[in-house]
Amino acid sequence: MGTLGRAIYSVGFWIRETGQALDRLGCRLQGNYYFQEQLSRHRTLMNVFDKVPNVHKDAFVAPSASVIGDVQVGQGSSIWYGCVLRGDVNSIHVGSGTNIQDNSLVHVAKSNLTGKVLPTIIGDNVTVGHNAVLHGCTVEDETFVGMGSVLLDGVVVEKHGMVAAGALVRQNTRIPCGEVWGGNPAKFLRKLTDEEIAFISQSATNYANLAQVHAAENAKSFDEIEFEKVLRKKFARRDEEYDSMLGVVREVPQELILPDNILPNKSPKPSQIG
Amino acid sequence: MAAALARLSRRTLADPSRLVPLRRLLSAEAAAPAVSPAAGPPLTPSDRVKWDYRGQRRIIPLGQWVPNIAVDAYVAPNVVLAGQVTVCDGASVWNGAVLRGDLNKITVGFCSNVQERCVLHAAWKSPTGLPAETLVERYVTLGAYSLLRSCTIEPECIIGQHSILMEGSLVETNSILESGSVLPPGRRIPTGELWAGNPARFVRKLTHEEILEIPKLAVAINDLMQSHFSEFLPYSTVYLEVEKMKKALNISL
Repeated sequence: MGTLGRAIYSVGFWIRETGQALDRLGCRLQGNYYFQEQLSRHRTLMNVFDKVPNVHKDAFVAPSASVIGDVQVGQGSSIWYGCVLRGDVNSIHVGSGTNIQDNSLVHVAKSNLTGKVLPTIIGDNVTVGHNAVLHGCTVEDETFVGMGSVLLDGVVVEKHGMVAAGALVRQNTRIPCGEVWGGNPAKFLRKLTDEEIAFISQSATNYANLAQVHAAENAKSFDEIEFEKVLRKKFARRDEEYDSMLGVVREVPQELILPDNILPNKSPKPSQIG
Repeated sequence: MAAALARLSRRTLADPSRLVPLRRLLSAEAAAPAVSPAAGPPLTPSDRVKWDYRGQRRIIPLGQWVPNIAVDAYVAPNVVLAGQVTVCDGASVWNGAVLRGDLNKITVGFCSNVQERCVLHAAWKSPTGLPAETLVERYVTLGAYSLLRSCTIEPECIIGQHSILMEGSLVETNSILESGSVLPPGRRIPTGELWAGNPARFVRKLTHEEILEIPKLAVAINDLMQSHFSEFLPYSTVYLEVEKMKKALNISL
């Protein structure tokens, strides 16, 4: 750095100090009402004494999710924004390829009281919809728990079972293989068709792909975020007709291209629900 | 006693050789190996960031899609907007909501509000012929904990708390959905009606007075939003905290 650079640097430093002094003055004037912002103290993964969450390296855990205590998350699973997996009194096991969508809550029931142990076990390739509440239940492989549904203690959803959106499944209910239950309290509605059963596993793979994109985006450092912001500004999507009229071919930079598997027209097999 | 402990820990931290794990925890670059799932080596469990000092980012761009917030709109700090999300003028998105437009567009219209812990998501395509984007038009009130997926809500509606709207459902102008109602895929609620239940059923027609009340509620929430909005300065001062902490831990800025 040259002498001029150093001089400008120190001038900048003085002005910043002045700014901070002004900030403090403003806070002083606000008196008791002012609130000082702090660093985020939210912990995505947290221990409870000796219970350590064990998350597979390929799983996606959103930074705003909380995974607390004795939780195991398998390969290719995704825990989306705002989820809470609280394994503080008992264990939670999430299989591989499972997705637990935004704002869901998974908790466990009293451990070893009156001989009852109710860990929460979620199998492989399960889709748990937004805002679902799973409390001390067992959800087997390739099941579908709809949006906003509530599963109470001791519920078992057998393989290929489905809980419809907004259902409340009462204690110790067993949802047999290949059935749809819905309502409050949940009742048997109908049998699943083979197509729908195929859709459940398709939905899980779709979500696993989607999770990879989100994981990559959320893991970016500050510099990368700023870099891509600039790139995006530069390559802002103009009207395609406008571009072709001018004969401009815009090459989208590598960083801004999403993988094919989440774009609807490029995906191998799009399905109803993402 | 506490002061002595602090001094001791300060001394331990001054030793650079012991600082490596701490530095990794603090630096955002620790997460960098996960950037491209195809190319880079995947995260090993030890490398996973357990505490990101930046918290959750509010705006998550995906590829070329950047969420777009109008200048007049209030979006609470712990909301997550990802992908193709547009929040129009005068709209408010309250705490804990998640708007995830990774497969399709999500629009929150003028003066609408999305209350606490709502989830708005869009599917690839809807079973009805409607476009699969989630469209919330102007003067719509979405109650707390409501769930919208690829549905269209026309102007001046009220969606009660805990209600669930599934793929391809359509709520027409001036209708009200009671709290806790569930709209199955492809259901349409005609103009000026009140629906409730799981699955939602017709209850009654709305009176003229009630219809006039709907935009008033949205405007009232808009007023409330203004007071929250004015509480936030355009830039936060957390970077000062980060600088202070990095200095305390001898990490070069």
